[in-house]
Amino acid sequence: MYVVHRLLDEQICDAEGKRVGRVDDIELQGNPPRVTALLVGEGLYPRRLPRSLARLARRISGPETWGKNALRIPWEEVDELTSTVKLRKKAEDLGLGQGDDPGRWIVGRLPWN
Amino acid sequence: MKAILKIALGIIAAIGGFLDIGDLVFTTQAGALFRYDLLWAVVLGVIGIAVYAEMSGRVAAVSGRPVFDVIRMRMGFGMGLLALVASTIVNVLTLAAELGGIAIVLELLFDAPYAMFVVAAAIALVGIVALLPFGGIERFFGYGGLLLFVVVATVFHQNPDWGEVGRGFIPSIDSSTLYLYFVVGVFAAALMPYEVHFYSSGAIEEGWTEENLKENRLNAIIGYGIGGILAVGLVIVSGFLFHPLGVEPDNLGTVALPMQGAFGETGLLLALGGMLFCVGGAAIDSSFAASYNLAQFLGWEWGRYQGPRKAPRFTASWLVFLLLGIAIAQSGINPVDITEYSVVLAVVALPLTYLPVLLIAGDRSFMDRYANGPIATTLGWLYFAVIVVLALAAIPLLLATNAGGG
Repeated sequence: MYVVHRLLDEQICDAEGKRVGRVDDIELQGNPPRVTALLVGEGLYPRRLPRSLARLARRISGPETWGKNALRIPWEEVDELTSTVKLRKKAEDLGLGQGDDPGRWIVGRLPWN
Repeated sequence: MKAILKIALGIIAAIGGFLDIGDLVFTTQAGALFRYDLLWAVVLGVIGIAVYAEMSGRVAAVSGRPVFDVIRMRMGFGMGLLALVASTIVNVLTLAAELGGIAIVLELLFDAPYAMFVVAAAIALVGIVALLPFGGIERFFGYGGLLLFVVVATVFHQNPDWGEVGRGFIPSIDSSTLYLYFVVGVFAAALMPYEVHFYSSGAIEEGWTEENLKENRLNAIIGYGIGGILAVGLVIVSGFLFHPLGVEPDNLGTVALPMQGAFGETGLLLALGGMLFCVGGAAIDSSFAASYNLAQFLGWEWGRYQGPRKAPRFTASWLVFLLLGIAIAQSGINPVDITEYSVVLAVVALPLTYLPVLLIAGDRSFMDRYANGPIATTLGWLYFAVIVVLALAAIPLLLATNAGGG
């Protein structure tokens, strides 16, 4: 249980240190239960809310769609736990961090210093 | 030597960064209505913000976690979301008040309509944020805010009855609801939550580690301490000038009048200039705070140091918050009224920000030997108790006094 408490809601960073989301839920399997994967994505937010709010959240995020708004990061991809959960691979290789893809945002082209 | 200089520059930025429109409005009104009687509440508030800023900066430097990172981790998704929504509402209202404040000061300095200046102020802020790196933004506004030292000069020029001033530092409780409302207002204006949201995220922007802990402590104690002297000065100059006349300031321009009384046009210009930088800096801090919180809660990439290319959602959300702030400031509501509502609502949101900070700063499993010592623990819990009491009292007082309108 300690592991779950330690992992849930933590910041996830990829191999290059990029912030790519938070641990929105955890997959446990076996007996005694072991962590088999971290679950990430806005499609999982409704699970984390009381029922009345969950319905509203689902309307905003859409239904849980694996590979789209809900991603499964196998435990083997976790490199180390520090103040963040550090992954072994780059975000793109795991389908993470697409929200901060500069190509999708006009502001990414702003000529800031 | 270089290290000392660097620390000194940081402290100077913190002095100017402490005062915002909430402090300007509440201290001036407190002086006008109750003369020096509320000075103790100003001091109480300044010590409170120093304690919590130090804690949040230490947590950020040691564990790499800014405030909303801590909130999500400690409070989980549901309660964390509540804290996020409450903080965002307060931060955007504060931003709107600060933008309105900039526009009022500009309106007084140059003769042009208020509405035009709200937009001009926002464009200027975007320009400054785009051109300067993070440290430069902080220093630009912090150093400019030092013009407000004209307030301290005004105190000595007025030469008030020092015995009466001194008695104001002794806490006293007057049973009138208006007095209690101003105790809450002065205290909360000093402890606005955006300050720790911004301060702790700023520590990460600047890449702080354990080596910066001394800098953190000095910034918090000396920087906020001297900022507090300016706030005390504002109460005194207002109490000296306005209280005998029975003037009730409901315009931001009134804040600068005692300085004009003492030093003529020079005093007025210094005061308005200092106010402009303070309020401008606070507009940056509160708008950044709103974006920091959102990005940290959802795990997005964030930070001015990343630039819009690496942190596009953070940058886009900042621009959206700025637009929201403009819209509210343009709605025709008096910025002084927006300020009062944002400050009093902030008290209600305060426990949600300060409790997680207090808990993690005292947690040895995260902070190791940098966890809260006896002083920080005692002060932290004492202040948390005060914050909870005030949070419970804030809304009834706001309604009972018609937002200080009597």
